[in-house]
Amino acid sequence: MTGLPEVFLRRVGGYGIFFAACVRSTFQHGVRWDRVLEESQKLGVRAFPVLATMAVFVGTNLAIQGHAAFSALGAESLVGMFVALGGVREVCPLLAATMVAAKAGTEMTAQLAVMRTKEQIDALEVMAVDPRAELVTPSLLAIMLVLPALTIISIALALVAATGVAVFQLGLQRGDFVDYMMSNITVFDLAAATLKSVFFGAIIATVSGYFGFYSERGPRGVGQATNQAVVVMCIVCISVNFALTSILYG
Amino acid sequence: MAEPIVRFTGVRKAFGDKVVLEGLDIELPRGQTSVILGPSGTGKSVFLKLLVGLLEPDEGQIEVDGVRVDGATERELFALRKKIGMLFQDGALFDSMSVGDNIAFPLRRHSDLDDDAIDAAVALRLEQVGLPGIEDQMPASLSGGMRKRVSLARAIVMEPDIVLFDEPNSGLDPVTSDEIDALIGRMKEELGISFIVISHDIVGAFAVADRIAMLYNGALVAYGTSDEVLRSQHPFVRRFLARNMDLPDLESP
Amino acid sequence: MAQALIQPIITLGQLGGFGGRVLRSFVAGRWSGQEFMAQAATVASRCFLPVVLTIGPFGAVIGVQGMVILDLFSAHRLLSSLLSIFMIRELGPVLAAVLVAAQAGSSFAAELGAMRIKEEIDATAVMAVDPIGWHVVPRVLAMALVVPLLTTVANAFGVLGGYAVAVGLYGQSHGVFVAHLAENIGVYDLVASAFKGLVYGLLVGLIATWKGYNASGGAEGVGRAVNDTVVASVMFILVFNYLLSSLLFGSSS
Repeated sequence: MTGLPEVFLRRVGGYGIFFAACVRSTFQHGVRWDRVLEESQKLGVRAFPVLATMAVFVGTNLAIQGHAAFSALGAESLVGMFVALGGVREVCPLLAATMVAAKAGTEMTAQLAVMRTKEQIDALEVMAVDPRAELVTPSLLAIMLVLPALTIISIALALVAATGVAVFQLGLQRGDFVDYMMSNITVFDLAAATLKSVFFGAIIATVSGYFGFYSERGPRGVGQATNQAVVVMCIVCISVNFALTSILYG
Repeated sequence: MAEPIVRFTGVRKAFGDKVVLEGLDIELPRGQTSVILGPSGTGKSVFLKLLVGLLEPDEGQIEVDGVRVDGATERELFALRKKIGMLFQDGALFDSMSVGDNIAFPLRRHSDLDDDAIDAAVALRLEQVGLPGIEDQMPASLSGGMRKRVSLARAIVMEPDIVLFDEPNSGLDPVTSDEIDALIGRMKEELGISFIVISHDIVGAFAVADRIAMLYNGALVAYGTSDEVLRSQHPFVRRFLARNMDLPDLESP
Repeated sequence: MAQALIQPIITLGQLGGFGGRVLRSFVAGRWSGQEFMAQAATVASRCFLPVVLTIGPFGAVIGVQGMVILDLFSAHRLLSSLLSIFMIRELGPVLAAVLVAAQAGSSFAAELGAMRIKEEIDATAVMAVDPIGWHVVPRVLAMALVVPLLTTVANAFGVLGGYAVAVGLYGQSHGVFVAHLAENIGVYDLVASAFKGLVYGLLVGLIATWKGYNASGGAEGVGRAVNDTVVASVMFILVFNYLLSSLLFGSSS
């Protein structure tokens, strides 16, 4: 375990430099909006079915847990509020981020690592094309654009699924439940969820870009880079979520 | 000799404790084919990466076509690299693009040519490397030799002043390997520009080279025309050549 | 869209078939206990920090939101009892499993995928060693052992994260927090929580080794295996969490 802090610091420094280089190359070489659009479409289409499934199950779990917790306290009516606040403020932004990290993020890491292995990133450099502007920036912007939209969609699906479980499985009054739920969602909450997901998007794209860009060559290198990227994304997103929640609601 | 195309002065490069190049001085002539020859692990790939600025030397100076590469800004490097084409070991073609799009890629990014002109340029280069009409194929469907040819077509499409070859013979069967050597020779005559080849393949090296530089343990052990290198008395050169060319091994009694 | 509906069923069938092979090798005793212990130690040591680093902030978030909301009802004292319910019944097992999937699951997929690509798995079979028994069974068992343990760790650190916010940040008294902590949960919940972890551990272990074992197509294939592992694991965990929560806690009220 010796040298772990050193490796950690070197990684953080390397990431910082990479992030700065991405931003700089975006301004220097301009944004390729056609690529951003293409990436956004791919991301949206591919992420949607998985995210929709997950959002539904998150909604059902929220209802069940809310019910279990609050009926023990004799406050069944609070289940709707719990679903609304938990789902909109915390769980759905994180869920959408996790999903995009797991699917689009790791895919980006793997793809960049493969390109590194096959010297395609070197080839771009030798052809005088900035590989960050070419490969990372379009995905970065695409994820930052699409993730908020996915978050809002997953919120809607989770709320519907939670209502379904509350009414049909748990036998709550539909009118009461929906009233309690909807009256606890404010524009501020939705804006905050959107803001969170923009942050998560930036983290996911740059972290997965960083690990892919500087991966070791070969199959083992590709696997390792992808593996490390997922874990780091999870940890950073959840920590940033805590920071944002404290600032926005604390 | 005219102003050299590449000049390394006292170049040192190490990765951690492993010294790859130590005090390397070499000048490669303009308009000729120079081969950097040596067994694997002697810093040949590092030599190429230093040359195009993908790596920075620890010490020493590197000049390419009169431009200082070490310490250059990204803008300077990109300007220089537009005059350089490179054939990568396994082609380094972009998997997501067709052969035609791969070759057109530098033109689309760096020139104002319209689509027709680009298509014509791509067709011409494919014909030059002996693979006419394969624009629509994907890189994954090509054999190793074909990938190298397409990569060469991409390397010359910008009409560079220098073309770099990273192990053009590696991973090929002897027949394909000879074909690539013949292609390099022919391209040299047609284009009349500077070629720099790194290789561990002696047969290929002597087939294409105007000049041969032999690297061993990070240092230059022989440098000159093919004949001069063949006459070198350096023990390592004798051993390396003897193993591969059935020359009398002067070291053994 | 039809494919999106059929695909999960096919996937489930294939995963079941793979699980059957793993079970057969397990029952036949073609696996090494030493390898199992080594894998378990690796998983535990590599996942401990990620789990703690994510569950802590999660507990803290519940602390922040809970304090703000309960403030509306002047019911601060309920925070710790709500926190312990959500943490132990729900978040602890799910987060521990997701993190283990991201860290150890994806690394299993990467290892086995690389072994598959480099023909090491074939080599194992050629040497008349059961590759499933040797490479897969110990990893799946390691997950089944470690995830319940990490779930318990996660439960503790999650509550600790909430404690830090409630007591440290919002000035709730230590006594109130502790007094209400175990109000609505008992030994049953702790056991059920660990049981959830066991199920998720088995799931993640099977998915990861299945994806890695069947990787194909070079370095890309390894990347794809890792990617698929994380996505499929998260998906399965959420679905099973709904089923298990309904089963274990649904009728407790």
